[in-house]
Amino acid sequence: MADRMPGNEHRPSKFAQYRALLAKDLRQEIRTREMLTSMVVYALLVLTVYGAALSQVGDRVQVVAFAGGMLWALIVFTSLLGLNRSFAHETESGCLEGILLAPVDRSVIFLAKATSNLVFLTVVELICVPLFFIFFLSGAELAPTTPMIVLPLVVGTVGVAGVGTLLSTMTIDTRGRDVLLAILLIPVIFPLLYACVSACSVAFVGVEGTFGTFWTSLAVAAAYDVIMVAAAWGLYEFVVEG
Amino acid sequence: MPSAQEAYAVEAHGLIKQFGSRRALDNLELTVPRGAFLSIFGPNGAGKTTLLRALALLSRPTRGSLRMLGVNALEEPERLRPRIGLISHRSMLYGDLSAQENLEFFSSLYEGKPNHARIDELLRLVELDHRRNDAVRTYSRGMQQRLSIARSLVSNPDLVLLDEPYSGLDPHAVDLTDELLGRVREQNPQRTFIMVSHDLNKGFAWMTHALIMARGQAVFTGEKAGIDCDAFRELYLATVGLGVA
Repeated sequence: MADRMPGNEHRPSKFAQYRALLAKDLRQEIRTREMLTSMVVYALLVLTVYGAALSQVGDRVQVVAFAGGMLWALIVFTSLLGLNRSFAHETESGCLEGILLAPVDRSVIFLAKATSNLVFLTVVELICVPLFFIFFLSGAELAPTTPMIVLPLVVGTVGVAGVGTLLSTMTIDTRGRDVLLAILLIPVIFPLLYACVSACSVAFVGVEGTFGTFWTSLAVAAAYDVIMVAAAWGLYEFVVEG
Repeated sequence: MPSAQEAYAVEAHGLIKQFGSRRALDNLELTVPRGAFLSIFGPNGAGKTTLLRALALLSRPTRGSLRMLGVNALEEPERLRPRIGLISHRSMLYGDLSAQENLEFFSSLYEGKPNHARIDELLRLVELDHRRNDAVRTYSRGMQQRLSIARSLVSNPDLVLLDEPYSGLDPHAVDLTDELLGRVREQNPQRTFIMVSHDLNKGFAWMTHALIMARGQAVFTGEKAGIDCDAFRELYLATVGLGVA
């Protein structure tokens, strides 16, 4: 192997590094299905518990009224499980250190990990949201605005993936990290959660004259995403090297 | 030939690393010439791994100056990262990916895309080319360590750091690792090695220079040529008795 000439330093593009990091996460998950399987199974169990809890509610209109809250409780708790698993591979054999040794901008690591978490959360939602409709809303008369829940779902999932990636990095080397992540994540995402539940509830109920609330909630959620994901991006270097 | 500025692989002056009220590195002074093999000894908690992490640019010293391979490591770490490799007792490999995929991934981080010629060369060097498509979790600990050595060399580093590389290896795997390190050293005489080890015999066999640390400080530094083996062993054992910082 030739000796390196001083000053002859090749810097790979950030996009190429982002692509390599993301491809590695996706390839690993496709091969093991560890994260997706545990998240989907957990979501199905929560749906079963919901089924038992709501079995005595005869009035489907009542179920529709709090469907937004139920849906987001399902998403947040399932996300916690996935986010805790997302760094398991990185810490098992010190792989994160292997990545940090390379000339990779720390914000690129954040962006790749947040993207992979977003992909996994989206896959789980694509499976669980239709099941939620089948189990709990199949007999109910749905408002024509119901499909609009997709907007708060997308905006909310981006925020959970972004903030969750930062917080799960902070807790990877701590004892009781599973509990600690929940303790940190839920208060931090509370404004986002509140806005998304509000927007989803308005979309589910579809009462005329309440759509100002939908757009206001969506704007709050989007603003939260921009501020918190940008902050997480900026802070990631300190967190991951701390 | 390295420039005069690069005559030293490492020049550390007044290096301090503070964790709360505890100083893991306490005004450490260290110079390592290029092409040297420095073995670092010391008791648990002496600051050896902290020093190695600082040299690997994984941890920033609290105070002091650190110049490596002619570059100010505290001001321009990004310039240095491709020139430093780390072999640890942890493999830093993804168990569910194959050897080929692991090396392709790390190669992409350094070069933007996998350098297949280099990967082939490294897999042949560590004698794992016949198992290149097998998942790393199916490898023995010794094979994982050989692949870990290949991973550390993927960017053709000028400085290789070794943190307890023999930890958890059986005697046969230790011999294979020794043989491999010998080949890696022969390939590039200008490449510098810094090894932390609790194994005095191994460290002594490899080293051209020695550093004994205790309580975050350098207790002894010197060239192997000027060291009497028995006196060195006595000094080491006395240092181990000093305990942690």
